[in-house]
Amino acid sequence: MASWVLGEFQDDGALCGAARRLRELGHGRLDAHTPVPVPAVEEALGLGRSPVPLIALCGAILGGAGGYLMQWWMNAVDYSINVGGRPDHAAPAFIPVTFETTVLATAIFIVLGFFALAGFPRTHHPVFEVEAFRTASVDGLWLSAEVEPAAAEGVAEELRRLGARNVSRVEEEA
Amino acid sequence: MSAESAARVERVDPLEPVPVLAGRPGDRELNDALFEPVWAKTRRGWLALFAVAVPLAGLLFLAIAYTLATGIGVWGNNVPVGWAFDIINFVWWIGIGHAGTLISAILLLFQQRWRTSINRFAEAMTLFAVIQALIFPALHTGRPWFDFWLFPYPSTLGLWPNFKSPLIWDVFAVNTYFLVSLLFWYVGLIPDLAALRDTSRSRAARVAYGIFALGWRGSARHWRHHRIAYLLLAGISTPLVLSVHSVVSFDFAVSVLPGWHTTVFPPYFVAGAIFSGFAMVLTLVIPARKVFGFESVITGKHLDNMAKVMLATGLMVSYGYLVEHFNAWYSGDHLESFLFFTTRQRGPYAPVYWLMIFCNVVVPQVFWFRRARQSTWALWVAALLVNVGMWTERFVIIVTSLHRDFLPSSWAMYYPTWVDWSIYLGTLGFFGTLFLLFLRFVPAVSASEVKELRRELEHEAQAHAAH
Repeated sequence: MASWVLGEFQDDGALCGAARRLRELGHGRLDAHTPVPVPAVEEALGLGRSPVPLIALCGAILGGAGGYLMQWWMNAVDYSINVGGRPDHAAPAFIPVTFETTVLATAIFIVLGFFALAGFPRTHHPVFEVEAFRTASVDGLWLSAEVEPAAAEGVAEELRRLGARNVSRVEEEA
Repeated sequence: MSAESAARVERVDPLEPVPVLAGRPGDRELNDALFEPVWAKTRRGWLALFAVAVPLAGLLFLAIAYTLATGIGVWGNNVPVGWAFDIINFVWWIGIGHAGTLISAILLLFQQRWRTSINRFAEAMTLFAVIQALIFPALHTGRPWFDFWLFPYPSTLGLWPNFKSPLIWDVFAVNTYFLVSLLFWYVGLIPDLAALRDTSRSRAARVAYGIFALGWRGSARHWRHHRIAYLLLAGISTPLVLSVHSVVSFDFAVSVLPGWHTTVFPPYFVAGAIFSGFAMVLTLVIPARKVFGFESVITGKHLDNMAKVMLATGLMVSYGYLVEHFNAWYSGDHLESFLFFTTRQRGPYAPVYWLMIFCNVVVPQVFWFRRARQSTWALWVAALLVNVGMWTERFVIIVTSLHRDFLPSSWAMYYPTWVDWSIYLGTLGFFGTLFLLFLRFVPAVSASEVKELRRELEHEAQAHAAH
């Protein structure tokens, strides 16, 4: 069982300042919720580089190699088709499909990788219990901390001191 | 923000006299304005258009059912004109889709800000255009219920597709294009779906948008992956879009038919695709921004830039025509010369050829004039003519090249039947239906990206004021 403490901030600066401060105090797992990406807050939260590009590269290699080998095996090994005496293993003719399978696999890896890293789909989350949190996708800049229930009051107090509005607590139902 | 500082923002760039975002609304105002078409009651104009589009879409399905029940002999195709309306319309629709990817992917990589407010619109157009395009080759196989034979799957027949055939390349290219466009569009849509969920007033809407939003909480952890995922998708869509129409052109260029067998085809097809796609974006965006009041986010700047892209790609298309004719003359091949200098210009389909020259070569020249680029009427009419022109281009390429076979005894005319026309008009209706549903249920302008643009402009204005 865990508690979430949420608070809304006026601007990016206040949000980043609060994120840095709470991080120094070592309060649970912090997250920011913003309607647009705010790179500064990602830095303040100490989030590193996203592994999505690496996942994309894996998809590209698999898609490219897989696409080419598929054509080679099908047309040159398993069932050779003689078209006008051209070689069964016709490398130049295999390029367009290899390119397409590379792109397709890369795209699928990117999207599924992004979903997996973001924990999608997860249509319900405890933070949605807070009615005011609805502004997070419209114009609100929110900070959330996932903490032990005992520490929740302290974190809420700290958020208020840092200038947060609408400070709220949510308990996760076990 | 005060009027004075707003004025300062507008003066930032002397090369951009018309702003990409008119006024300086706040996030909430932007959100409300851009979501208004979704939350407001259905408009009369929308209903009227929907009432036109749906029966036409119905006509499509009736014509398809009739074709399936009777066989493709009900089309006007014959020998030697074995490719006709089906392939003309396939190429036309695929080409239209290309502008969507150009706007959403290529212009994103080039950091062209004016793409922000039209990218979702254009990307939706891509998806729906590709759906129309896919209908034609699927039916043209004659037995669409066996179309899965085109995919490499371990079948009891023990056969595999022939990967040396451009037609198989086309299957891979077009399907990849559709899937990647869909993923790209959806990933870009997630933050707005979450905002729709959070601004919904009814439980049904909240649940429906909530499911599609997948649980987006605008978390820094989400954005971190989202940003790079979106950028990478743009990165791979860019070569993809160039490959798709190149592969489509290989369907022609790899054959030995005069009129098709030309090395200029891939770049000329890609330029033509973007040309026709921008024409379609303008055709749709000019009325839509009026009806939904998007003039502050889709400004004169956007229309002006799109007109310039059309002028540039129109000139490339004209160059393609020139090269084709030059090669026909320079090759010294009498079949090529006969096709390009006799059949096309003076043959039975000459009016279509001259209409093509008028629409694709002459009409875009009006975009040299600023007054034409700034008049929505002039733009709209020119865009419609370009749509017509690009359709006639495919007609000229396909039908005139085929109807004069190598043996004069095999010459034949092609006339579309009522089924051909019904399927073509039907796809326009089906496209319209999908597009209208999109306008009704999804914000046509990306609110999250416009909000980001607004912040960027503000930061720049502040930096400018500090100097």
